[in-house]
Amino acid sequence: MTASPSKNGTGMIEFRGVNKWFGALNVLRDITLSVEPREVVVVCGPSGSGKSTLIRCINGLETIRDGDLVVDGQRLGDPATNMTRLRTEIGFVFQSFNLYPHRTALENVTLAPIHVRKIPRNEAEQAGRELLAKVGLADKVHAYPAQLSGGQQQRVAIARCLGMRPKIMLFDEPTSALDPEMISEVLDVMVAVAEEGMTMMVVTHEMGFARKVAQRVVFMDAGAIVESGTPEEFFSQPKTDRSRAFLSKILRH
Amino acid sequence: MIWQQLQSLVGSYPLALRGLGVTVVLSLISLVLGTLLGFGLGILRTGGNRLISAAIGAWVDLIRGTPFLVQIFLIFFILPEFGIELDAFTAGIIALTNLAACFICEIVVAGIRSVPTGQVEAALASGLSRWQRMRQVVLPQAMRIVLPPLVGQYVLLIKDSSVVSAIGLTDLTRVGWLVVQRVPNGLLVFFLVGLGYFIVCYPLIMLARRLERRMGAAHGEVQL
Repeated sequence: MTASPSKNGTGMIEFRGVNKWFGALNVLRDITLSVEPREVVVVCGPSGSGKSTLIRCINGLETIRDGDLVVDGQRLGDPATNMTRLRTEIGFVFQSFNLYPHRTALENVTLAPIHVRKIPRNEAEQAGRELLAKVGLADKVHAYPAQLSGGQQQRVAIARCLGMRPKIMLFDEPTSALDPEMISEVLDVMVAVAEEGMTMMVVTHEMGFARKVAQRVVFMDAGAIVESGTPEEFFSQPKTDRSRAFLSKILRH
Repeated sequence: MIWQQLQSLVGSYPLALRGLGVTVVLSLISLVLGTLLGFGLGILRTGGNRLISAAIGAWVDLIRGTPFLVQIFLIFFILPEFGIELDAFTAGIIALTNLAACFICEIVVAGIRSVPTGQVEAALASGLSRWQRMRQVVLPQAMRIVLPPLVGQYVLLIKDSSVVSAIGLTDLTRVGWLVVQRVPNGLLVFFLVGLGYFIVCYPLIMLARRLERRMGAAHGEVQL
């Protein structure tokens, strides 16, 4: 297996004819999508369109029924693929943060580096402090999640992912649970991560973010990818009725 | 006459102390073993293997659905029929440990299930192994739910240990039976027996109450 993605046309994340059902519901329909290294892809679409399911498949929080999903050169569902190890290369930011409530911000960031990467505690803490400073929370190192605002919690969650030095970062509606005044502090951190060359897939309706850092916007509806293009194309000249209808709803505000 | 009885009672204090000792040692060993086993069973029960989970569930239901006296008789009188000879103390430990483990298993399962799915997903996403997820993320949060009823369960089990007197183990309850043959004042003798149990259990009752208050107030942080 080659490490270079361009040789065999394999991206960092590669969906080929992926299908998934929840019971009788076809939640992912024949998804084919390739995300190149360092690419930032924004996924949008109406609720229930399968966009969260799409990115949850990438780190195995959901399993696929058929088709191929290859991440960082490893085929998911293949017995040779060590899913636990692959997950260490993929950061996942949840809509509801999911910080560990019994651990401080710093402990949230250092838990996986210490126990999974086996980095010595003092080194991990040093790196953790730097990451928390980077997301603007140098003064909250010893705060518990319950003592932090939603925006602060989500920034800790991003730092927690970065602590593993992942190759890919996935964001599942990272700002949807936030009060409006906290959205920009989280988006600023995400922009900074994107500008450092992280491969990212972001489920969001934040069009400003998409325009700023995304190379591509993917529009999903009813489990299928309906449209895909640069942010410029997608927002100014949506090609399908469904994307036009969707955009008119979210841009009205 | 009551004076004579009191004198006679005071005279049997070595026996009473021995009985109290047996009750405390038996309870302590069974509770420690039962807690370890109960946590193990609880973790396995929620572990995702259906067969193991169903087997544990069936065993727990069986033990919870039969009288402890019957269980102890089965272990003490029936097992020797199959060539497994047990002294009363070992039989008592086995029976009480098994009972403790089954009740504690249920408490642990409830605690583990109370931890939101998102916590497990976050741990999963950062590459923690099954055991690391349990040890670092799930159990510490489950302990909030587990601790108060766990300590309460200890109190019940210490009291249940009185049943071992039925197979001839000289615990506090059996000492009561022995003494009452010499001092024919059942009220007084069993009042003292009850007091013995209460002295052991009361600190635990207080502890359970304190834990319940603290767990209610704490925001996720549990110091063990």
